[in-house]
Amino acid sequence: MNKLLDSNLFNQEFVPKRHKFCDGRAKSDISLASSAQQRFGMEEKMEKAIEICGLTKRYGRNRGVQNISFVVEKGEIFGFLGPNGAGKSTTIRCLLGMLRYEAGEIKVLGHCAGKEQKAILQKTGYMPSEVMFYPSMTAGQVIKLAADIRGLSCGEEAERLCGLLGVDRKKRISELSLGNRKKVSIVCAMQHKPALLILDEPTSGLDPLMQEVFWELLTKAGEEGTACFLSSHVLTEVRQYCRRAAIIREGSLVRVDTVENLLRSSLRNIKLAGVEEAPALPEITGIKREKDSVSFSYTGEMQKLLRALLVLAPKDVLIEEPSMEEMFKWYY
Amino acid sequence: MVLLMHECKSHRKSLLVWSLCVGALCFACLLLYDSLADSMDSMSAMFSEMGAFSQALGMDKVSIGTLEGYYAVEISIMLSLGGGLFAAMSGSALVAKEEEGHTSEFLNTLPLSRLQILAAKYAAFLCLVFLFGVVTLLFVLAGFACMGESVHMANLLRYQGAAFLMQLEIGSICFFFSAICRKKPTGAALGLTVFLYVLDLLLRVVPALKPAKYITPFYFANASDIFAESAVNMPLLFGGACACVVFFLASLFIYCRRDISG
Repeated sequence: MNKLLDSNLFNQEFVPKRHKFCDGRAKSDISLASSAQQRFGMEEKMEKAIEICGLTKRYGRNRGVQNISFVVEKGEIFGFLGPNGAGKSTTIRCLLGMLRYEAGEIKVLGHCAGKEQKAILQKTGYMPSEVMFYPSMTAGQVIKLAADIRGLSCGEEAERLCGLLGVDRKKRISELSLGNRKKVSIVCAMQHKPALLILDEPTSGLDPLMQEVFWELLTKAGEEGTACFLSSHVLTEVRQYCRRAAIIREGSLVRVDTVENLLRSSLRNIKLAGVEEAPALPEITGIKREKDSVSFSYTGEMQKLLRALLVLAPKDVLIEEPSMEEMFKWYY
Repeated sequence: MVLLMHECKSHRKSLLVWSLCVGALCFACLLLYDSLADSMDSMSAMFSEMGAFSQALGMDKVSIGTLEGYYAVEISIMLSLGGGLFAAMSGSALVAKEEEGHTSEFLNTLPLSRLQILAAKYAAFLCLVFLFGVVTLLFVLAGFACMGESVHMANLLRYQGAAFLMQLEIGSICFFFSAICRKKPTGAALGLTVFLYVLDLLLRVVPALKPAKYITPFYFANASDIFAESAVNMPLLFGGACACVVFFLASLFIYCRRDISG
């Protein structure tokens, strides 16, 4: 648990032990739990927006997510990347208390997920990827309903957000496109100025102008201390707006790191001219043969590659850094 | 309270349609009594000789030769069956509609506990069934008033009370289905209501089925029995009330523990 709370370690790949203590469902080590309880004191509450440790969720015999662990700091915009079906939405729904999980521990804004779910949701704004509201209600009624259930008067902020996003409050939900429903969802998620925003593919369906407005809103919220946890497929957005990101593949976390470090991997695109075969190295993948050249991806040590190239003696060698898309495909 | 009002508002059309249709039908049938009055005595005598048929409808206990008896035998069928179907439809829709309509990601991510969500929805269900009873009662009273006849008010209220509990029991069973399903179990709810109604008819004819009176709530909400005996079967009513509580608690137990899909 001490490892979990060490944010430096969370910048690296980290596989925690399976345990939890929030809701008493797991038979966890008591001393470990009490030590963690001490560490999850007020100080921690103020600094961490999300703490997930060893989260495991299965759907019957099917895989959900396995042993997921990471921390989202207060005020940061954190990206959550992965291909379809990797477990992004499952993780988000566990955070929001919609799914019960078999193992692990989740703390959101210092509160235990599941046990103190109402307190979590009071301070959280959520925007799902497939936004749907009650079709017979108007956008304005939905926004007011969300504020009324929160017991807050958010009229002024809702008005401001509707103005910025161009939400027609009189239109019925059934008449709105996905993009317009997303705008309503942004207002619902942000009108109460939450301490944490959880956004599942937030910009899908939004036009480029609205995307710009959305990111401005999010950046400003981040500056005011709101943490933002977003899942996305749009890598350029993640590179531009997120400080750190986690990559999930087939239900398991591949890596948690700063976006800068994620991009600074050992993956290189190599092109050799004047040869027909690539060196026989296990770190080589994606070999493509052309007329008088061969290209491939390489993830090993450069000295090892150079030694192999001396034997092949190509006419020319081109070594490139991969694009962001290539990099994430590699992680996926 | 906000969610309760929201649920009541979102079901107001359904409430209006069902209560006005059933109420208006009862009102119209009461007004029709005048045109049938001449033949009612002979019909009453004929029905009373039809054995099982008259037993099933309660015509062996009250005479349809009077407006009150006509109400207890004929009109109450529409009220009981209409009310039962309305309660079944409302109960089965309240919880499962969120997952079927993909609105659960909106509702379940607002700061409400699952207990609060389910309690508000059940309270909305109680309000809807109560309002249905009030509207149909007003139509019935208007019918009696138009016919210039008086009705035994205590018996009428006893029947309305028993019918309210019958609707609650059926609705609570359907509410339970709704809490455990991801899609509205409307078909099952309507099927269950019709089954329980038919079971009530059969148990009045087939002695071997008599123990089924503890299963179907239509038995204790039978207007013929109530008007004939000027009393309601209190143990069965109590059993019905307990069933409502048990099904609500079972709904709560499962709903608070299961995964909610988006």
